[in-house]
Parts: sequence; C-alpha cells; structure tokens
Amino acid sequence: MSASAALAEELPLEVAIKATYLYKFAPFVQWPDEAFPTPTAPLRLCVLGNGPVDKVLDEVVAGQRVGQRSISVQRFRNARAAAGCHIVYVAGTNDGFVAATLAGLHGTPVLTVTDLPADARAHGVINFVIVGNHVRFDIDDTAASSNRLVISSKLLRLAHAVKPRP
Amino acid sequence: MAMPNILARWKMAPTLTLVGAAILLSAGIATALYQENLYSAQKVREVTVQAQILAASVTAALDFNDNVAAQEYVNALKANPEMQAAGVYNADGLPVASYVREGRTRLPAKVRSPATSVEGNQLVVSVPVAHDGAVLGTVYVRSNIDTFERRLTRYGVIALLAGMAALLLTVLGTSQAALTRANRALEARAGELADANLRLYAEMEEREKAEDALRQSQKMEAIGQLSGGIAHDFNNLLTVIRGNLQLLERRIGQGQTDVKRYVDAAVEALKRAATLTQRVLAFSRRQPLSPRPVNLNRLVEDMNELLRHSVGETIKLETRLTADWWIYCDANQMENVLLNLVINARDAMPRGGTLTVATENAHIGALAGDATGMPEGDYVRLSVRDTGVGMSEAVRSKAIDPFFTTKPQGEGTGLGLSMTFGYVSQSNGYLDIDSKLGQGTIVTILMPRYDSESAALRA
Repeated sequence: MSASAALAEELPLEVAIKATYLYKFAPFVQWPDEAFPTPTAPLRLCVLGNGPVDKVLDEVVAGQRVGQRSISVQRFRNARAAAGCHIVYVAGTNDGFVAATLAGLHGTPVLTVTDLPADARAHGVINFVIVGNHVRFDIDDTAASSNRLVISSKLLRLAHAVKPRP
Repeated sequence: MAMPNILARWKMAPTLTLVGAAILLSAGIATALYQENLYSAQKVREVTVQAQILAASVTAALDFNDNVAAQEYVNALKANPEMQAAGVYNADGLPVASYVREGRTRLPAKVRSPATSVEGNQLVVSVPVAHDGAVLGTVYVRSNIDTFERRLTRYGVIALLAGMAALLLTVLGTSQAALTRANRALEARAGELADANLRLYAEMEEREKAEDALRQSQKMEAIGQLSGGIAHDFNNLLTVIRGNLQLLERRIGQGQTDVKRYVDAAVEALKRAATLTQRVLAFSRRQPLSPRPVNLNRLVEDMNELLRHSVGETIKLETRLTADWWIYCDANQMENVLLNLVINARDAMPRGGTLTVATENAHIGALAGDATGMPEGDYVRLSVRDTGVGMSEAVRSKAIDPFFTTKPQGEGTGLGLSMTFGYVSQSNGYLDIDSKLGQGTIVTILMPRYDSESAALRA
C-alpha cells in the first residue's frame, strides 16, 4: 500500500476517534446551571470552521446520548453565533482564526476543543494531541475555570498534560 | 435413705455429661458454620464492591481508549493479596487491561456480566462498566475467599472441638470403667468381710464352748479335790449310821425297847449325807454364766458346810463377813472362785492352821486407785488368808499363770488361779496375792459394788 493510501486509511480512524471524543467529553464536564434550561435539553455540539472531523461528526454522533440528553450538532461561522453551544470544536489549523474565536468565547460556559500543535498561539480548554499511537488530549483547567466549567478528575487523569486551575 | 439417692444420681451423671457434650459440640459446629456463611457473604460483597470500584474508575479510560490508564487502575488491585486476577474488557469484549497473579490462572477471553460465581475457594465477579447509562465494557475479578490460614483455623477449631469431645468421652469411659471395677472390687471385699465375720462368729462360739468346757472341767477338778474330803465325811456318816444300826440290833436282841435314840441318830446322819450329796450335785451341775446381783455374805454363808468339809478337821475355818454391799456377778462362778481359793489355802497347810474368809465394804480413792489400777469407787473386798507355807516372790509372780502349779505331777492342773483371775477381771474386779514364805498367803479380791439405784440410772 502506498504511503498516502495508508495515511488516507489511518486518518479516518483518528478523525473518528476525535469526533467521538467530542461528545464523550460531555459526561466529564459540569456546566453552570443556566447552560441547560431543562434536564432533558439537548447537548449542543457546535463546529466552527471546516475540517475532517466535521465531516464524520454527524455519523459518529447519530443515536448517541449523553445521559438523558440528545446531541444536536450545529455549524456556525463565528464565535458570537456559537455563544449558546455547550461544546465548540474549532476546526481548522488557521492559527489566527482559532485564536480570535477562542478569545471571543472566553468567559462563556463553553467547552472549547482545538486540534493544534503545541506551539500554536492559543488552545482551547481541550486540545487533541497524538501520543505514541494514540489520540490523547491536553486540558487547560485554568481556561476551564474562566469559563465556569468543572472538569472531572477522571478526565484530568486521562489527559496527557494538564494546566491546573489557579 | 440418702445413699441410694446419691448413687442413682451419680449413675445419671455420665449420661447427662454426654448429652451436654453432644449439645456443646453441635452448638459449636452450628456456630462455626454460621460464621462461615456470614464470612462468605461478606467476602462476596467485598469483592463485588472492589470490582464495582474498578469499573467506576475505568469508565473514562474505556471511554477514551486509554489502556495505560486502565492498566494503572487494575494494577492497584495487586496490593490486595487475595486478588488472583483482574481484567478490564471494552465494549467489544476484548481485554484492554489485565493482571494475573503468578500465572496461576488465566483471564477468560470473553466475559458476561454481571455475574458472580464461586469456583472452589475462589470468587469470580464480573461487573459492567457503565457511564451515563451506556455500557462501556466489563470488569472481571477473581479473588480468594478462603486463605490457607483461615481454612487451617476453621478445620483446626473443628478438629479441636472434636478432639475435646473425644477426650471427654474417653475420660468418661475410663472413669466409668474404673468406677465399675472399683465397685466390683468393693463388693468382693464386702463379700470377703462378710465371710470373715461369719468365721469370726463361728470362732467365738467355739471359744465360748471351750471356755464353758474349761469352766466345767475346773469345777470337776475342784470337786475332784473335794472328793477326798467328801468321801471321808461320807465314810464317817456311814460309820455313824452303821454303828447306830448295830446298837439297835443288839438292844432289840436283848429285848430292850428304848431304841429310839439310835434310830434318830441314824436318821440325822442320813439327812446330813443327803444334804451333802445335794450340795455337791448342785455344784457340779453344768450351768451357763448368768450374772445377777449377789450378796457375797450370803453366798459365803451358804457355802459354809461345803467349805468346812473341804478344809477337813485339821484346819480351823473362820469367817468374818462384814460386807453388806451387793456385787454383780455369776453366783456359781463366785462359788467356784471361793472354793478354789479355800482349797489352795488348805493345800498350803498340810500340818493344819487357820483359814480366814473375810468380806468387807471398801472404797477405793484416787490414791489407792493408782496402786490397784482400779477406778475410784465402792467395792466389796473378799479375802482368803491362810497360815500355810507361803510362796516365794518368784512363785507368787507366776501363781496366776495358766498351768503353773507347785503340786506334784498328777495332782491339780494349775488352772484354778488363772481361771479365777480371768473371771474376776472379766467382772471388772481386781485380784491380788500377798505371800511370805513360811508365814502364809492372803488372796484379795475386789469386786465393784452393785448399786441398784445407779444401775437403774445407767440403764
């Protein structure tokens, strides 16, 4: 198999995993009370920008629930529009775009997830990272606390790197 | 009767103890089993909880496919020495993390949950890993529920209980056997004792018969002693009778009718002979010992005739009877005693002399008691004194020994004084011989006073 073909085959697995993680993070995150109007209100999983994860997200999320909540996937173009989401996946590798988006969502009860290399200008509360052959993630608990989010220690323990909250 | 009750209860004791031991043993075993059950249930709970804790811990790891994290949680169970194996399986049933102690067991390839089972002394628990209603995988745990020490202790305790019960039974059995043996030995002993007792009675009877025979022979001997004198007296009486009849014959032949005085004399002599005969017969009659109150003075006076005949004409017989107290004795034996002493006295005076028989009241005080060895009290003293040849100290000290006699062979058995001494002692009396060679002998007998009033009180 050619390298590109192999890469093309691997990519979907990594992408699928990242997509599943997006909603799998939800049970380990505690939003402030006003984030959910009712106990059965759906979990809003929003995507800003384009990327491979976005393409498989609908498939992966189909039929899944987070506790009692269903998952609704939405796509937006800017941060302001995504203000009511619970999880926002900022797709793309455009450093500047991501940084601006994150700044716009800072302080709102949103779990921001990014997929950027370590030396990027800004990262979300959770940032995917590949460790060995596995999809892992780094957690910025300081940012989480700024967004009034409480992240379960179970998730923190699994994180590759944690920036602890102050 | 207290004895049979105690014996009956004692017989029940072994049964009761057995029953008690059986109850204790059953109770002990029941308690042990109950404890075991409790322990097992508790152990199952514990292991299940451990599995559940592991399941809760690995939810995130399973969620995010973090096998390393899952393995960390599984490794934490290593610390529990009873944990034999543990494994975490993902939603597809494949193990993602595992631990097996010393390779003794293997993790199963597929696990169904929830499940609990006991295999031998191991408990197997599998628990689903779920988060928010979604099943992420399964946790499998295999643990020892019975450590070697616990099993040892349990069996040891039961063995101890059984051993104690066995020991108790053995002790009971042995003690019962010993008791039965002891009982039988006792019965045998009692039988022997009863036999010995019977033999003793038989011997006592024999002894009494022998004593009776001896007394009788003594009497006969005394009579034998007498018979010489009595025959002599009889002879005299017969001579008197013959003489008077001869005179009677002559006077009638001469035609005289004044013959009454010859007939009277003969009849008188006859009467005296008859009396003498009767006395001897009465004396010689075999009679059993029968003590009764006796007036010694009267006894001596009644025997006066007999005594005079026994001492003969060469010896002067004096009586000084001042005692008015009574004694308690067998009258016949006392007569025997007196006759015996008188005959001894006579024999000591071959050339004649004086024989004195005296009775008097006497009181033995504490001091005199020491000398005689008699308890303080009132006595009647009977003494027979002669003025005969006397005895040396050596002879005197042996005088009352049986078969001791100074008479030549064939004359006298030597039993008289010993029998006298025996009879006096038996009657709680006292006998003493005082003698000086060439001067004479005095034999003193002390018999306790018979006081009818105090005897009635004592009775």
